[in-house]
Formats: sequence, C-alpha cells, structure tokens
Amino acid sequence: MSEKLSPGEARAPGHSYQEAIKKDASEPPASFLTESYEFLGDADIPYANYTSKDYADAEFEKMWPKVWQMACREEHIAETGDYQVYDIGELSVIVTRTESMQIKAYYNACMHRGTALKSPGDNGFCESFRCPFHGWVYSLEGELIDLPEDWDFPHVKGDSHNLREVLVDTWGGFVFVNFDPNAEALSEYLGVLPEHFKDFNIDDRYIETHVCKRLPVNWKAAEEAFMEAYHVKETHAGGAEFSEPVTTYDVFPENVNRFIHTVGSLNPRMPKAPSQQELMQMLWGRRGPADGTCPVVPEGMTARDVYARVVQQQLGASYDQDFSGYSTAQTLDSIEYFLFPNLFIFPGLTLPMVYRFRPDKDDPDYSYFDLYFLRPKHPEKQPPPPPEPLMLDIEDSYTQSEGLGFLGAVYDQDTDNMAAQTRGFKTSAKSGQALGNYQEVRARHLQQRVGDYLKK
Amino acid sequence: MSEIIHEPLALNSSEVLELEGESVLLCNSGGSHFAIRNQCTHQNSPLAGGRVRNGFISCPLHGVRFDLSTGEPRGTLTRVPVKTYGVRDEDGMIVISN
Ligand code: FES
Ligand SMILES: [Fe+2]
Repeated sequence: MSEKLSPGEARAPGHSYQEAIKKDASEPPASFLTESYEFLGDADIPYANYTSKDYADAEFEKMWPKVWQMACREEHIAETGDYQVYDIGELSVIVTRTESMQIKAYYNACMHRGTALKSPGDNGFCESFRCPFHGWVYSLEGELIDLPEDWDFPHVKGDSHNLREVLVDTWGGFVFVNFDPNAEALSEYLGVLPEHFKDFNIDDRYIETHVCKRLPVNWKAAEEAFMEAYHVKETHAGGAEFSEPVTTYDVFPENVNRFIHTVGSLNPRMPKAPSQQELMQMLWGRRGPADGTCPVVPEGMTARDVYARVVQQQLGASYDQDFSGYSTAQTLDSIEYFLFPNLFIFPGLTLPMVYRFRPDKDDPDYSYFDLYFLRPKHPEKQPPPPPEPLMLDIEDSYTQSEGLGFLGAVYDQDTDNMAAQTRGFKTSAKSGQALGNYQEVRARHLQQRVGDYLKK
Repeated sequence: MSEIIHEPLALNSSEVLELEGESVLLCNSGGSHFAIRNQCTHQNSPLAGGRVRNGFISCPLHGVRFDLSTGEPRGTLTRVPVKTYGVRDEDGMIVISN
C-alpha cells in the first residue's frame, strides 16, 4: 500500500502553487486549489519497461485493447458520412457519423476476407463503406447492404456479416473508443476530469493546428518528458538560476494526473525578490515583440494580473472574442491534465494544447506524437474545418509549423533529448531510472497504471 | 495550350467540363477553385460526384482522397497523383487551362 504524505511534505521549498494563485486578483477555478499528491514509492523504473519487445507486446495484448483512447475530435466527423481511422498497434477502427448523426465505430476490416476498408490514419467522406477488393458495401450503420454475386453466399444471412462495432463515447468534444466490449463506462473512466473541466468549455473549441511527429523513443518515455516541469530549467532555460516554475503535481484515481505551474509569479527561492515592475519587464515581450511600452504595474497590483489582462486583450483581438472572464491562473499558467494512457489536455488560454501519444507497432524505441492547438470557438462564427495534420519525421523541426509560433522551438528542445534517452537506456550500468518523489510522481503513476493492466 | 472559361461554382460543389477531349472536374473548395482530371488513379472511375471539402475531393467509389491543389492522393490505395490544371480568376470568371 502506498503511504500518504500530507500535501506539501514532499514539495519544493517555499510557497505552493495554491498559495501563489490565492494572491491573484481574480478567483482561480476551485479545482486548481485542490491538492492531491500521493507518495507512490521510490523504486527504480526498469529500463526494460521501455526497451523490451516483450513488454511492448504485453501492452498491446493486455492494455491497449482495454483502455479508453481518443480516436479524434467530434469536428473530424462533423457531418453524416465523415469518417476518421484510428490505429493503435495492429488494431484499427473507423469512427463515423451516421445518417441519424450518431457516432459509431467499426473494426476496420471487411467481413468477407478481412481487407482493411480504409487506409491507416485516413479521414474523409463516403456515403457507404465499399471494400476495394470484391466490392462488399456496408452502410454507415455498418449493415452489409450490397453483396456482389450473393448466390454464392447462402451462408451470409441477416446481420451475420455486418461490420463489428467497437465501443465509442464522447466527452469534451473528444471521441473515445475502447476495444473491450465489457469496459467500464467512459464517464467512470474519466474520474475527476468532467468535474475539473466543468468551467472550461473544452467541447467549445476547434482545432487550429495539428502536427504529428515520429519520435525516437518509447511512448511512455515520450509522455514522461511532458509530465514534469523539473526539466524546464535545463532543457528550456539554459540552466538559468531561479527559472524553476512553482508547480503542483497531483494524482487522481484511477486514470488522471496533472501539473499546473505558474507563469510570472515570484520564484520563492530568489534571495532578493524582484519588484512587480521588474517582473512585468520579464513578462513583457514573452509573446513575441509587443507593441508599445511595458505597462506600469499600479500600486497594489501584481505583474501577473496586469500581464494576464494584456494577454486576454491580445488574444481577444486575434480571435475577435472576449476573454476577460478568464482568471489570471487560467489565462497564464501551464495547466496540463493527463488521462491514462495517452491523452494530455491543457485547458488554459495561452497554452491551448492537446497531446496524444501512440507506440510504434513494430519497435518499442519509436512512437508517434499528435500535437493539437485547440482555440475557443467564436460564439457566432463557424470555425474552420480541422486542418490536415502536418507530418514530421524524427529529424524535422517543429518550427516548420507556423501555427505553433514560438512554441515550435520549445518542442524541438523537448524532443531533442529523446534519442539520447533511448541510447542511454541501453548502455546504462544501472537497470532502471530514478524518479523524484514529487516532481516525477506522474511518471510513476503512468508506470503503475500500465503495470496494473499487465498484471490482469 | 487551350482554355475554358466558366462561371464560379457554388461553395463545395463541382462540375464536369471538357478540355481538349479530356474530362476535367472544376471544384470550389471553401471559396477557391481547382481543376483536376475527372478520373481516379485507383480504378479510373470518375471523380465527379465525390465530396469536395477542405481542399480535397473524395472519390465516390472507394473514397480515395486527392489534394485538389497538387493532385496527390492520401492513403494506400493509389500512389499516383491525379492531373491538375491551371485555374485563374479573370473579371469574376474562372479560366481553366492545360
Ligand atoms: S475482402 Fe472485402 S469484398 Fe472481398
Ligand atoms: Fe518541456
């Protein structure tokens, strides 16, 4: 059994994230004030969890077919006949919108001789699913509606050869599938997520940017690179003194964890605290060259609050919307929720990302990383249709994607570590990786959840 | 080189035209016009009637998608791009050239 520490006991010195945001002028969402840290142990995580083909095969056999995973967003299949293919390992599913605007999911295999009906990762539109091999045709409802030369198939009767369905459900504008017909309901699987996201209107967002990159590292190590802010100082800030953000790390049963870290609050470790005006100066220009001069922080206000208003106005002007209702924390902070096994959602305003990771089906040392930017929909205007993903290979830079803006270079910094980690896993004299008890608890949570499925 | 002049099409619709004996499909995707050969490179069936959206057309037979601006296919059913034609706007009319 894991031993509970009181919140904060294993935390970095100085004030907590929760204490920091209580000083904001606007009320933060209640869920941000919750602390749910739990000590999950401190044993090394075996490198074999990442590098072993047997371990990856066990995941494909015992975990991936049993978990809820995001196949696409609802806007990918907005209209009748739209479809999206989602592939995980050897499994492939077609998610589609039927005549009655229901969402259905089918195994991507013809009921005649098994041919995949649609290509990997494909999306598009069709009035029915027509197999390219012998022309069996299935309706959007999955019924076999045309069987060429049916005199030869007296054994195909009634609904015996309809497409086989996969469980599908939606939350927050995401379409999830589960290959296990006896899986628990999605609403239960999601745990605290719906409650924590109730003020964030995550379903009222549209995909602005989508980049899919091949990564030279195991899918779990790829996820773990985004689960802690411990690397921020070295990987993103050139090791600059006092660049550690103030972060809360929380684990929620069974499938959710998160971090939230501040942007523009005082680092409690600084020996001499900068003035609010000095902090403002540091924030100013963070979002690229700003027009005009750095605002003066009025007496009694914080740089963070003033900067949040500036950001709300800048983004409000770009998206022709009013973002003044967002709290300072929701506007500025890096808010990252994780849903096991492979979905990350950032409900904040300035960092609007969604991540999805998938293993390479043949090689545990490689994975795929879908990165999306979701923006709030305009209350009246029709959002643009979802973009085609920009496909990047290992050596390609994220800066090729205009939509990522200054974050493109940041993602390059994150992914540049990955090949080196894969090499190190294999040469290390030690058999596993050590994790920080607090800052890396989410990585341990991920490993334990995978382990739970492999033990079943 | 030869040309055809045609009126702009309704949003996300398409129309079959003929240019020097070739069947050409003029498409309006999201307000921009494109012209491609009216023949799928998978099994040579006509692309006419396929849905035009978001810069792509889906073949009505097996659903292969082609990028309207480059003719490049998506997916694994064909690797052969479909031929595209020059399209320009002249005084509110669409001019298609080979
Ligand atoms: S395999 Fe699909 S029609 Fe024969
Ligand atoms: Fe990072």
